[in-house]
Amino acid sequence: MSAVTSRATAPAGVPRRRRSDSLTHPRRTGLLLVLPAVAFVVVFVFAPLLAAVYISLTNFPLIGSFEFVGLENFALALSDPVFGRSILYTLVYTAIVTGPILVLGYTLAVIVRANRRGSTLLRTVFFLPFVVGLTTISFIMLLEAQPDSGAVNIVLRWLGITDGSTAWLVDGPLATALICVLVIWGVSGLTMILLMSAMQGVPREVYESAELDGATWWQTERRVTIPMIRRAIAMSVIISVIGSFLGFTQFFILTQGGPGSETTTVVMSIYRRAFVDLQLGAATAMSLLLVLLTALVTALQFWMLRERD
Amino acid sequence: MVAAATTRKPAAPGRAAASARASVDRSTRETRTKYLLYVTGGTLAALVFVVPLAFALVRSVQPGEVIVSAPEASTFFDWTSENFRMLAAQSELGRSVINSIIVSVCTAVLTAVVATLAGYGFAKFRFRLLPWLFGLVLLTMMVPFQAILTPLYLEMNALRLTDSLLGLVLFYTTVNLPFCVFVMRNAFEAVPDELEAAALVDGAGIVRLLTSVLRPLITPGFATAALYAFLASWTEFLGALTFLTDQDLYTLPVSMVNLQQGAYGDINFGLIAAGAVVAMIPCVILYVALQRFYVAGLASGSIKG
Repeated sequence: MSAVTSRATAPAGVPRRRRSDSLTHPRRTGLLLVLPAVAFVVVFVFAPLLAAVYISLTNFPLIGSFEFVGLENFALALSDPVFGRSILYTLVYTAIVTGPILVLGYTLAVIVRANRRGSTLLRTVFFLPFVVGLTTISFIMLLEAQPDSGAVNIVLRWLGITDGSTAWLVDGPLATALICVLVIWGVSGLTMILLMSAMQGVPREVYESAELDGATWWQTERRVTIPMIRRAIAMSVIISVIGSFLGFTQFFILTQGGPGSETTTVVMSIYRRAFVDLQLGAATAMSLLLVLLTALVTALQFWMLRERD
Repeated sequence: MVAAATTRKPAAPGRAAASARASVDRSTRETRTKYLLYVTGGTLAALVFVVPLAFALVRSVQPGEVIVSAPEASTFFDWTSENFRMLAAQSELGRSVINSIIVSVCTAVLTAVVATLAGYGFAKFRFRLLPWLFGLVLLTMMVPFQAILTPLYLEMNALRLTDSLLGLVLFYTTVNLPFCVFVMRNAFEAVPDELEAAALVDGAGIVRLLTSVLRPLITPGFATAALYAFLASWTEFLGALTFLTDQDLYTLPVSMVNLQQGAYGDINFGLIAAGAVVAMIPCVILYVALQRFYVAGLASGSIKG
């Protein structure tokens, strides 16, 4: 925005100068203020990103000499069955959790969006698992997923659904189902907060006129609320899709990617390749593919947001 | 909500009086049904979210043998502080709690301070390079750290920042910066130019300005940034697992995973439960204390970002 302003005033010359080198806001002070933040992202994000391009073209080991191997690492990554399977598994996992997170988050937002008695308390409560964090709730789930003793099995036995001896964490599909439930429960609170804030920004008059028109609750949601908060909906979907696609912690703690490599996610397969197999070149090539993919998803969704505005 | 809003508002001007009464009737009836739905739905949902966390508290005071055996009324309520005492006595776990506190508190402070400076610069200063630098910081939101883990590890290793709590703090600060810079820029943009200019003309330095005149105005943003960085680093897992190999430097989650996966057949679930509760408590307390800042800040940062 300021670029536009300075370009617009450029022909006059004098106003621009006064604007950039003002007495109260000298240019050098501004630069000094933003410099630490810029330094952090340059050193710890952009430098490694550039280094990654170089490393991915070599057979980089943790120690010892290395040589240039061209695109071999990328070919290796793309043809590696474990990596391929981990991409597929992560996509399936992301596809399973995204819808329920949005629906549950939306429902919770509907419950707490009005300032009623107790709504502040409910907001706190629904957001609590997210605040506590995936790491901690995964450890809690680790205890409760144990056969015979864990709460998951006890509850299912009370309900008469199973006999309570299910070993959730040593079976791929069962572990995946459990992790999906855990994540949906754990992160819907964030979607709730984002959607709730957007819903509170919808002007009251719109609802009043909808009511005068005799719209039912569902018609109002579908025709008024959802179109008016679509930016927030898109944003929360971006956040949850990227978060799911980069999933690691909950899998590492609950299944370690097993049995075999059945529940190995993309990030976990890169981690293994780098720090267990010590093939940093190949791992970096995989990382770059992941950067490309996530950047693409983010850019696409930013573009979609801008387009409709 | 709609109905409640209508009834609370004074009668809308210019609307037929005859239909007004009918509409009020309908609204109150609708309000009652909706309120009932709100109460039952809200209570049930609240139970679903609270009970698992509350149950974790119960687990943490049960001995390990009770946790891993089928529940029996006779032993289920034999509560003890044994797990927490063991956690404090076991040098590795006790040490890891302290490491986690050091790392997350330092990260929170450093992130909030750097983000405040940058937020001020990006919001109130104007020169040609600035939008580009802002774009650069925002661009990093598109590069998740999970995706640059290997080159980052090599770089940190070369800078001697692996196996170092300082290295972990610098790493976490970078990860949390883009979002926090955004929050702080929003905070400074809400500050009236006149107020800031008046103080500067009066000869206040930048530091004076930030810590006295502007402080009350930017405190909510600062609290949001600090809490965001604290929560993100307190139990962060992948980075800590990658950058730390020295057991003395482990943070709580890494040390718990070590406990879980290192000693085969001899997992003490009591310790895991206690560790989970220790990890949970500061998050809950800080969040409840700061939530009136946090919720608004989180939403504004994410939607506009």
